[in-house]
Amino acid sequence: MSASRRLDPVLLLALPAVLYLAIVYGVPLMMLLGRSILNGGTPSLAPFVAFLSDPFSWTVIGNTLRIAVLVTLLCLLIGYPTALALARARGAAQALILVAIILPLSVGVVVKAFAWQIVLRRDGVVSQLMMGLGLWSEPQRLLFTEAGLVIGAANVFVPFMILPIYSVLKLVDPRLGEAAATLGASPLYRFFKVALPLSLPGIVTGVAFVFSMAASMYVIPNLLIGDRFQTLATLTGRSFLFMRNEQLGSTTAVVLLVLTVAVVVGSAALSKRLGGAS
Amino acid sequence: MDKPFAGMPSRRALLKGGAVATALVAAPSVLRAQTKELVIGGAAGHKPWVEQTVVPMFEKKYNCKVLFEGTRSLVNLEKMQKNKDKPYMSVVQMDDPVMILAVKEGLLEPLTVAKAPNMADLLPGSTHMDGMWANYLQPWLGVAYSKTAMKTPPSSWAEMFEPKYKGRIVIPSLQNTEGLPSLFVAGLLAGGTMESVQKDTDAGFKKLASLKPNLLTIYTQQPQAFNLLEQGEAWMIGPAMSSYALERKAAGAPIDLAAPKEGVFAMPSGIAVVKGSPQQELAFAYVNELLGAELQNRLAGPTFSIGTNKAVPKPEGLGADVKIHQIDWANVAAQRGDWIKRWDREMAI
Repeated sequence: MSASRRLDPVLLLALPAVLYLAIVYGVPLMMLLGRSILNGGTPSLAPFVAFLSDPFSWTVIGNTLRIAVLVTLLCLLIGYPTALALARARGAAQALILVAIILPLSVGVVVKAFAWQIVLRRDGVVSQLMMGLGLWSEPQRLLFTEAGLVIGAANVFVPFMILPIYSVLKLVDPRLGEAAATLGASPLYRFFKVALPLSLPGIVTGVAFVFSMAASMYVIPNLLIGDRFQTLATLTGRSFLFMRNEQLGSTTAVVLLVLTVAVVVGSAALSKRLGGAS
Repeated sequence: MDKPFAGMPSRRALLKGGAVATALVAAPSVLRAQTKELVIGGAAGHKPWVEQTVVPMFEKKYNCKVLFEGTRSLVNLEKMQKNKDKPYMSVVQMDDPVMILAVKEGLLEPLTVAKAPNMADLLPGSTHMDGMWANYLQPWLGVAYSKTAMKTPPSSWAEMFEPKYKGRIVIPSLQNTEGLPSLFVAGLLAGGTMESVQKDTDAGFKKLASLKPNLLTIYTQQPQAFNLLEQGEAWMIGPAMSSYALERKAAGAPIDLAAPKEGVFAMPSGIAVVKGSPQQELAFAYVNELLGAELQNRLAGPTFSIGTNKAVPKPEGLGADVKIHQIDWANVAAQRGDWIKRWDREMAI
């Protein structure tokens, strides 16, 4: 059981990344954690108690989690079939889909948010489409609503769902499905019992990416829903940038961090159990 | 008192110029040490007019080099705190609320008429906290409206509350400096006076809640709000800043800024000298120039602002009889945190 036997020298290759993250991420994170519990020199949980005993804080936490979950679900709903198509496609078709997914990443979030502002407004294409289909009797405003925020945010984050799922799916042997088919499995059965369990690691990664980004997004809610919908991230930003209330800012930042890590780790553990069971 | 800064370069300065030219050939690094440098910290939005109008005039008149660092007010405050023992910025142009913080932390050098003579010619209420800072050019806040959507300009702040504008009104966040008057205007409409509505905002908050059905959004990013107005999705933004709205109008946007009958509000824009900073005489000279009628006259038009020097006429678009409300920023500083808390709860979707 000596440690030296287990330590693979190749692991040392991770050292630059570990050092980099420790300096630019780990240390500031510790400082933030420290600041959130060090209230005037003595460690105290009082800021957290004060924050969590305020009903409005729970509205903010609820806003943050609800939007993050909805964005993640929408991304999964759109992203999984796309990843499947991408994994099946060959040659030019595959390249085209890949470019279509990756190229928009080079367009800034602010530009996308402004574009959504045009699409979602009362005389925008969404409103016109719904009127044309006879689903809406008069122009409706989607701009600055939760629905608009979810739609806009999903647009920004969907590549981070597609790519991890795709990278797992492309490694799955397509003959597995064919084998199941020859054994009499229906397409639906094949999907839920073969393809889906095999792609779970990709889904977990995609969900973790999208959820943590959606829970902590700042610019998108700022531009797509505005000041009337506070999330933990917007509250943190305001505390530091405008109210100079570093205590509140570090408290909300830590609450957000804990919630996000809990959800991501929890969903990974859950999927492992589910994956192991099937 | 000696007066080192006459209008014309002195013999000494000319000699020095010659010495610098010689030194340039021998050791270029000496050049820096010889030229006086004045560092000004201000808002990023000030950069165009400072660098195009103020700096060339000032550099020529005082034979020095001016560096303008444009950022946000709070960032300037941080720079001053971090370099408190050895300041490098000599003058700061910041909003009054941030000036109050700077005074509290002992970062400013008081202005006096002896050091900045133009202070004597300012409108009443233009200097604050015993001359710690002075207002120079003040953008004003009125109601910006879409000329395509509205046939007549809004004549009163009360128009924003009319039911026919459901979902068409945009107001600034209370976290934005230009957002505070919405609270006071609501108080005025509920029957208060400028003094009473600033001290006790309860009636203002209650009145503001009745604006909620009309709200398209509450913005934190000003360009986005004006984008909505120009596209016709929003019909009115109030309070809206003259420096932004009238600049967009001048650029051809189908919008205008109205001065409602209850009066407009002056935006806080202060200028101060940093305590213990280098080049103090130059710093006071810079402040003095910005408080003078000559520069203010040249800048009031292009910046769509009100001059604080008595000799500067009111800008176009503001009638001579329009009341200009000044905001008690010390009171704002003391209460803003609580107001924002209540705002978040009561103005939420």
